[in-house]
Amino acid sequence: MEEILLKIKGISKHFGGVYAVNGISLDITSGKIWGLVGPNGSGKSTLFNTVLGIHQADEGNIYFKDRCITNLVPHQIFDLGLVYAFQVPRLFQTLNVLDNMLVAGREHKGDKLLFSLFFRKSWQKKEIELAEKAMEILRLLKLDHLALSPAGELSGGQSKLLELGKGLMASPTLLLLDEPAAGVNPNLGRSMFERIEDLCQTGLSFFIIEHRLELLFDFAHWVYVMDKGKIVLEGKPPEVAEDPSFYHVYLGDE
Amino acid sequence: MDPLVYILDFIVLVGIFSIFSLSLNIEFGFAGLANFGKVAFVLIGAYTYTLLSNINVPFFLCLIAGAIASAIIGFFVSLPTLKLREDYLAIVVLAFGEILKIIVKSEGWIAGGVWGTPVYPAISIAGSSTRLDMAINIALVYVCLFLSFLLLQLLTNSPYGRVIRAIREDEVAAEALGKNRAKYRAQVFALGSAIAGLGGGLFAQYLQFIDPYMFAPMLTFTIWIMVLLGGPANNWGALLGAGMVQLFDRGANIAKDYVTLPIDPGNLQYIIYGVLIILVLLYRPQGLLKESQVKTKAGESIFNGRDFAKNKGD
Amino acid sequence: MVNWAQVFVNSGITGSLYLIGAVGLTLTYGLSKFPNFAHAEFITLGAFFGYIVAEPLGLGLPPSLIVAFLVTGLVGLLCYRVIFQPLSKKGATLIHLMVASIALGLVLRYSIGSIWGWEPLYFKTSWPSFDIGIIRITGLWIWLIFVAITLSIIMHLILVHTRIGKAIRATKSNPELALASGININRVILVTWFIGAGLAAVAGIFRAANTQIWPMTGWDIILPIFAVAILGGIGNFYGSIVAAFIIGLAENLGVVALMTLGLSTSYRIAIAFIILILTLIIRPEGLAMLFRRS
Repeated sequence: MEEILLKIKGISKHFGGVYAVNGISLDITSGKIWGLVGPNGSGKSTLFNTVLGIHQADEGNIYFKDRCITNLVPHQIFDLGLVYAFQVPRLFQTLNVLDNMLVAGREHKGDKLLFSLFFRKSWQKKEIELAEKAMEILRLLKLDHLALSPAGELSGGQSKLLELGKGLMASPTLLLLDEPAAGVNPNLGRSMFERIEDLCQTGLSFFIIEHRLELLFDFAHWVYVMDKGKIVLEGKPPEVAEDPSFYHVYLGDE
Repeated sequence: MDPLVYILDFIVLVGIFSIFSLSLNIEFGFAGLANFGKVAFVLIGAYTYTLLSNINVPFFLCLIAGAIASAIIGFFVSLPTLKLREDYLAIVVLAFGEILKIIVKSEGWIAGGVWGTPVYPAISIAGSSTRLDMAINIALVYVCLFLSFLLLQLLTNSPYGRVIRAIREDEVAAEALGKNRAKYRAQVFALGSAIAGLGGGLFAQYLQFIDPYMFAPMLTFTIWIMVLLGGPANNWGALLGAGMVQLFDRGANIAKDYVTLPIDPGNLQYIIYGVLIILVLLYRPQGLLKESQVKTKAGESIFNGRDFAKNKGD
Repeated sequence: MVNWAQVFVNSGITGSLYLIGAVGLTLTYGLSKFPNFAHAEFITLGAFFGYIVAEPLGLGLPPSLIVAFLVTGLVGLLCYRVIFQPLSKKGATLIHLMVASIALGLVLRYSIGSIWGWEPLYFKTSWPSFDIGIIRITGLWIWLIFVAITLSIIMHLILVHTRIGKAIRATKSNPELALASGININRVILVTWFIGAGLAAVAGIFRAANTQIWPMTGWDIILPIFAVAILGGIGNFYGSIVAAFIIGLAENLGVVALMTLGLSTSYRIAIAFIILILTLIIRPEGLAMLFRRS
């Protein structure tokens, strides 16, 4: 049975009078891959940032699993199972790749001051479990050989993969990905999406911004098209692709 | 002066300043908190120690009370700034240090105001020599230093240490991964202040006298030089820095008796400190020792165990 | 009995001093994105340059203001060029820049100390004082208020009407856009550091002429100046005018309150600190929102 995970109701966000997101409403249900496309500057990343609590919405409400999250801060939203992989990777540059992954680990007693100092036994097992999980994900992303290198030394593509890895590491219910395949080599991009499809089978849901439409349209179940802060079109990928207004949005008046 | 006493005095001060630099290192080095008012928390420790020991509270309780008082005040001072950018904390604690100095200067009933007040040594043995007193002080200071160092080594090599480094590197990303940056920063700032307060208590009881002028902003920046020079985010670096700066201090003091300079050595020393900081920031911002990696048992187990072997087989 | 009229006049005088001192700080803070703690030493340095021109050379106040403005401005520009610009280029963090500015402050302060000594010096010029009703005001204060008003008008004209002023505003609000639209950001920043340090010098002379001059002259008033910059909204010139007078008023009312309560007036500095903390708790962006245009 599908349940509504994320419900966005009339969200607006403006910066100094300019609406980046203008009254968007949409639903995201579980067990699917959802796509969000649109030209540059159409407000896609702003929408994600607003959902995640990085920006405060000016109007409207956001619900996650029937709970209003409009005014929550990012770490509270993370705790509910909604996780974000940034468009421009935000890595912890001086930490090594494995540590970057481990920061994303959930419910780790060692993250707490007193436990980390005085009850080291209580989290050591969890730490090993998380490290094994992290290595598994890194292997999947073909980053395992770099586990001990500082994240600051990764190439652009590798950084994107690690950003995705951090998201997966957080065992999300819904993972928001902002252009995961940008800058990643084409074959790896496809296998990344294949893996996303596998994970989707296990119950994890995805909401993905992607400019590489050929990839997204092969895998997404439903696609929203954004233009100038609004949803202008939605539907199954083949329907969207054939809609004449879709090309109008992308090519503008050229 | 007895040369042995001179050396012992040096050893004690290196110990006390190591405690100070460790306390700044956990804040600035690991967590990215610019504490420009370190001296305020040293002062709180020193004054708490003095006031309590003058009403005959046992010395270890005075030290603990100084640490706790520092931690509590540190927590409240840092609170308004923890969700803001790093520069606000820097400005606020710098200002707080100045205000605190004015308070202890103006209020004569707190430990004698500008005239200061004597402090009784923590442990005094009837009829002991200066050398023995020094040895006792070394023991006391180095026990405290060892405990602080151990605590910080455990903390920085734990998942907690990883989280605070992550917040230092990118607070938004850490927040998006479920880490409440304000909570972590408040904890680290309180802990750093506690350790500084402990050091302050030791400082007061060793010098056996305190007055407000001992707690000038210069003390804060001497501690900063130690951390920057030794290597931020490396506890060994903090010790190295404290030793080096104290050594330089001693060297300068000896040299000024033998060398005539066109500039007053008191001024020259701080000019050199300033130039040194700028040069370090320009040419070796990581300090002498590089940042230590987070070491938890887990990381090792992955790479010593089967997983690593399997990777090689791939 | 408190002479309230005098308290308000004094507030205006204090506010004028803080305004002149804070403009440079807030503009460089907004543009270079870090608080320059060595601003205190620019104030001190200017006070000493002004002192030399006004006293040993005996040229009086106006020439000393001009010479100190130009020389200290040049020092400020050089400091940015030699220390902060290379650091920024090497990707120094905010904390590194702040620490560097503290270090620069040390170098300047102790250099001043070794050149002119740590004993306080005093301007010997005695200023005539005038009684207007129950208000007493000295010639120096009239100069101070005159300079503050002139400065406000000139800065306003520069910011609104000149190319460099528009460039300063554009660079502050959006460096990438400013760069794309052909503004030479580097030159804008250098000019701002020059003006900022120069104005610090002017504030230093007034402070020194009113009290004393020694290597800590700038440090003595740096806290209220920071409070003005933050309350006014960092980088916001119009906000800092309002903030300077709010803090000037609060300090003078505070002094009255302290004396009534029988407390030391050295707590005067704590008033700016309290305002600073309240600003951070209630409205960290300061009064900037009231002056969107700038």
